[in-house]
Amino acid sequence: MNPEQRRREVQRLHRSRPRSALLRWSGIALGALALFSLVSGEVAFSEARDPRRWSNLRRFLSEEALPRALAEPGAGWIDGWNWGARLWRERGAEALGATLSISLVAMGMAALLGSFLALASARSLMRPDPLIQGEPQSAGWWPRVGRAVRWLCTLLRAIPEYVWAFLLLSMWGATAWPAIVALALHNAGILGRLGAETIEDTPPRELRALRMLGANRRGLAVFGLWPGALTRYALFVFYRFETCVREATVLGLLGISSLGYWVQDARARQHYDDMLLFIGLGALLVLGADVASLLLRRWVRRAG
Amino acid sequence: MEAPRIPRPWPLGPRGVLLAGLVSAAVGAHLYLGLSWADLVPRGTGAQVCGDFFAAALRPAWTYEADFVPPGSAPFLLRLGEALLRTIVFASVGMTLALGMAVPLGFLASDAWWEDTRGGEDSRTGRGRLVQGLVRAVMAGMRSIHELLWALLFLAAFGLNTFSAVAALALPFGGTLAKVFAELIDETGGESSAALRAAGGGGLALFLFGRLPGALADMASYAFYRFECAIRSSAILGFFGYPTLGYYLHRSFENLHYREVWTYLYALALLVLALEAWSAALRRRFVA
Repeated sequence: MNPEQRRREVQRLHRSRPRSALLRWSGIALGALALFSLVSGEVAFSEARDPRRWSNLRRFLSEEALPRALAEPGAGWIDGWNWGARLWRERGAEALGATLSISLVAMGMAALLGSFLALASARSLMRPDPLIQGEPQSAGWWPRVGRAVRWLCTLLRAIPEYVWAFLLLSMWGATAWPAIVALALHNAGILGRLGAETIEDTPPRELRALRMLGANRRGLAVFGLWPGALTRYALFVFYRFETCVREATVLGLLGISSLGYWVQDARARQHYDDMLLFIGLGALLVLGADVASLLLRRWVRRAG
Repeated sequence: MEAPRIPRPWPLGPRGVLLAGLVSAAVGAHLYLGLSWADLVPRGTGAQVCGDFFAAALRPAWTYEADFVPPGSAPFLLRLGEALLRTIVFASVGMTLALGMAVPLGFLASDAWWEDTRGGEDSRTGRGRLVQGLVRAVMAGMRSIHELLWALLFLAAFGLNTFSAVAALALPFGGTLAKVFAELIDETGGESSAALRAAGGGGLALFLFGRLPGALADMASYAFYRFECAIRSSAILGFFGYPTLGYYLHRSFENLHYREVWTYLYALALLVLALEAWSAALRRRFVA
């Protein structure tokens, strides 16, 4: 191949690359959005150059963020240790337990609720006659129920946990319930959708055989579809667990007794050293949940 | 070859054990918290709020609910539009900064980077391993702190300003994106990069043209999904005084204007739904 031929060949290949108007316009739209957002002036980047802010930051890092116990004259490392140990004994340990418990109960509720939502919104099940092709599939009540449940799932997951908890808090007061139900609702919406997608992806051959033998809708759902989808569903549940712990920490900012409660409390008293300790504790909990979720998912995958 | 199936020594298989474990953990946690199911029935003012709030669900507001609106304030729907626009703007600036951090961090955290740029299997030097470990530690630190806690830290250290808000979004999102980018890059097989190396390729070009294209569609798809999450987080930042959706939602709820609250909730849901439909259309075409 001489250079001219090679150049032509490269040009031909370049012209015949797969192209898509959707991708191109999506890219242009997102780029334009980013550019508009950066120059719109809504975000004041000039703040980042304000010397007052930087001296604020320096004071925060060099004074406020350091444990008070260490700042006293003649204080040694042991005083810092005692400060941390006292906070852990008095508040940290209990708040850590509460955060973990809230996310566990919420995850259990979300898994249960999500599995009902998944079955009730799966397109392959919510048809006049499940799994049989060739019939008119959009008539009757079942598809309408399926569509309504899909909308419900969207609403549940589109509203953030924090907003759900804020709304529920005024109805139930400061028990753990607003946090638990908020986490359960949001995650049930997500698990419902992921579960429904898994059910729709289930290869239908064996299920058709069951159907031909006379299994009804409930029988198909409970004995055919659900066991087959369960492993992947469990993977999704553990994947969400990690996020759930993260969010449970933060819901305490609203006044529910998780780690976030003590973060907010320390912030209100301007005890920034305590605040950093509790934030650090939350970070450790999240990293722990991250590792636990990874190990559990690996186990589920191996167990099939 | 598949291992021969060993009969289960137990009435429960591993999956059953795991599910039973999850259920008992949830029940145990329930006991630890001392929850009472009777508390789930709202009482007193709680019942009043509950009734009024859910009664308003089917009648979202189109204008201000208050009898007196200060003169000169924008119409309700215009305010809603502004709040939505600011929510989107904060989210997209946050995502832009997050992507700017996630791309280099994700590259450096992946094993493929070190293989491709240093030539050959596992030729990482001690320094390479150190850099990779450090980058991974930084990423873990960034994402283990929730964006709202970052926002509180920035409020305390840097004061209430919009730059703090987008920085608080960008740090945890950057850490998460970087982690997933690194995983996606490492999941693509090394075949094409090995072929390019055999043909004499090496260094950065090998990584960019041999390895990255295989992961690019998944990376873009995941970034789009995180953008959706950023919209939700940006809305919540309003609860801390930033002018996004959460700010107005919070205020309307405190003023007992529940129909306005529902309008904000529906608007957020529609925005998320539209983004989901968009990303689903993109995914259908490029990932599947």
